[in-house]
Amino acid sequence: MTLHPLPASAAAPSLRPQQARPDTAAAYDSTWTEESPAQSPQGLERVMLDDGKIYVVLAVVLIIWIGVVTMLFRTDRRIDALERRLDQDIPEDPA
Amino acid sequence: MASSVLSSPTVYRSVRALVVALLSGALVAGFLGQIPQLDILEQSARNLYFHVPMWFALMMGTVISAYHSFRYLQSGDRLRDIRAREAAWLALLFGLLGIVTGMVWARFTWYVGSGKWWNFDPKQSMAAVLLLIYGGYFVLRDSVEDPDTRGRVAAVYNLFAVVTMPFLLYILPRQLPSLHPGGEGSPAFTQTDLAPAMRWVFYPSVLGFLGLFWVLYTQRVRLSWIRKRLRREPEL
Repeated sequence: MTLHPLPASAAAPSLRPQQARPDTAAAYDSTWTEESPAQSPQGLERVMLDDGKIYVVLAVVLIIWIGVVTMLFRTDRRIDALERRLDQDIPEDPA
Repeated sequence: MASSVLSSPTVYRSVRALVVALLSGALVAGFLGQIPQLDILEQSARNLYFHVPMWFALMMGTVISAYHSFRYLQSGDRLRDIRAREAAWLALLFGLLGIVTGMVWARFTWYVGSGKWWNFDPKQSMAAVLLLIYGGYFVLRDSVEDPDTRGRVAAVYNLFAVVTMPFLLYILPRQLPSLHPGGEGSPAFTQTDLAPAMRWVFYPSVLGFLGLFWVLYTQRVRLSWIRKRLRREPEL
């Protein structure tokens, strides 16, 4: 039961899909309107947009790889510190 | 007391082997597998396999860290404090990787042609705030001299920090207009959001990165525990 039944015009249902979608693009309109499709990509974009943007994936994987390597190096540094500490703590063992 | 904090070396080695297998498979299948052809995203949709698991690892890390902080407040056991710190440290690392990979991805999809690396998308901004909160955890730790006080203060802070995590990563960004996927309605992975063919790579990849997190975390806890025991006087 509705207090204000919709007018029987056919326009209302056709509006639905647009209403259901949140306006996610409005805040970024400035970003998108600046883009001119005729302009060919320059510099970094020329590389990254090539071959269906697969180089973006490569860059992301490399960043993660660098993160893992950073961890590896930090772990090494910790082991170095522990070794130095062991050398200090344990009296010299005449070999 | 046992010489290692590792309760089961067999489990550790198995997880390690599984991580290597899963991540190798995710790399191969991630680059070579079939994906739907979509505008704007194009091949960069493959980043799903690598960028999203970073955030899953961060979530796991913050929850593990908070759990051990809670147990530290209960027991005062220094090992709990070490576990909380190392889990938070790795969560921060994975979060940084997540935000940087997200920036690169956004730069060539959302912001292509604009030259922008950062446009204060709510999802990105909130994630950055979360990383700052966890950065604050370490600043706080380093500013307290006495180890018992440090452990307690940091544990309480950590329990507050973990509460902000779901809000900053999920709840708040979904209330705001964002370009990030998964903002419309409920769970990020509905039937339409992830193509069936991609699930077979995505889920193993998530598992692999969570395992990688656990292996790195366990390594760091073991080293910290050895260092603490070598110092004899309670430090850390």
